[in-house]
Amino acid sequence: MEASAPTEMSTFEQLMLPHLDSAYNLSRWLLRNPHDAEDAVQEACLRAFRSFSGFRGADGRAWFLTIVRNVCYSHLRHGKREFPKVAFEEDLHGSPQDSGETNAQCWLEAKGDLLRQALERLPAEYREVIVLHDVEGLSYREIAGVAEIPLGTVMSRLARGRGKLQTEIVTLSESTSP
Amino acid sequence: MNCDESHLLLEAYADGELDLVRHIELETHLKACPACLRRSEGIAARRTRIRETLPRFNAPQALGETIRASLRAEAQKTAGQRPIRFLVASQWWNLAGLAASVTVALLAGYSWGGHSARSNSVAKEAFAEHMRSLQANHLMDVISTDRHTVKPWFAGKLDFSPPVVDLADIGFPLAGGRMDQIDGHTAAALVFRRRLHTINVFVWPARDAVPPPTSASESGFSAQGWTNGGLNFLAVSEIPAADLEQFVGEYKNRTQ
Repeated sequence: MEASAPTEMSTFEQLMLPHLDSAYNLSRWLLRNPHDAEDAVQEACLRAFRSFSGFRGADGRAWFLTIVRNVCYSHLRHGKREFPKVAFEEDLHGSPQDSGETNAQCWLEAKGDLLRQALERLPAEYREVIVLHDVEGLSYREIAGVAEIPLGTVMSRLARGRGKLQTEIVTLSESTSP
Repeated sequence: MNCDESHLLLEAYADGELDLVRHIELETHLKACPACLRRSEGIAARRTRIRETLPRFNAPQALGETIRASLRAEAQKTAGQRPIRFLVASQWWNLAGLAASVTVALLAGYSWGGHSARSNSVAKEAFAEHMRSLQANHLMDVISTDRHTVKPWFAGKLDFSPPVVDLADIGFPLAGGRMDQIDGHTAAALVFRRRLHTINVFVWPARDAVPPPTSASESGFSAQGWTNGGLNFLAVSEIPAADLEQFVGEYKNRTQ
């Protein structure tokens, strides 16, 4: 079936623009800067629109976020922005090294700003699974689709990412306290 | 379940993402193990704290307007050049799953290290496709246990002819097929059953493609690949590796 461009545009707007906040949030967390985040979302929208004829899925948000993520990663690869403070090491089989119970007190005291700083210090691979799951509320399976990684990797990255986030909070609160 | 196994699952348990069987096994373990229970409570508290505290950044009002304007400009540009084909809305909802063609096209844009790294990436992709195929409504485009129905179905859609065999006599009945994508190439995915489990056999032309890995495994899935008659084959499933080996051996026998 052929469709005129204006009809296609309004269909695209109806299906994709409701997810603009999700797209911006992911982009903002991945690029850690509002201007870059806006640029990336705009670029992703145009890319999505151009390949909209290939969209056959029922889940517009996941499809759109996949494109946003890819645009952000190419920005990260080409950009010379600050490097994450924590090294990314994939570990598919090992157990997450944290217990979740250490320094329970620091969690109660962790202010939103401290948590934001800590998350921004993590590598993008951990940041994205935490943002997609804990902020955007995507399921493991949806994240596997968006980040193009197996379900088991989503599980291990989320576990390790939250553990590293906790370590960062301890480090940050120790360095700021007198 | 022992403590090491339970540690691997606690995060997914807190997220409510465990399947029913492991959920029950883990709860049984937690009732008997105070140390794991304490760890579980810590993980749950941390999860709640993260979810309640992390800010969500909303798109600035102006961004929506900028995007609408650039879409209009783009639509006008393309309107003069080429008609845009797309499916009507009612058809979309029948076709579940992600637009694999788009994700694979994006994947193909990445640069890979060496040959074996690419073979590994083929395996990773096949695992992901296998997993996606297990989602409702995405497993099969043609549903038939008859290879004389499945094979012609592919004829108009592919520029190669995947050999379709029936292995029902040794416990792997054919269930159907669908179109898929592997390593940027259009692939046929043949679906077989092993009791309640699924085996996907991906078939794509060997020309300009890296050979599939002979064997790979990840997160409970295993894969075995081979090349025959100018075609790459990669069988992926969650069944035990020994069963998959039997399946692959017989598949090779009957297609040679």
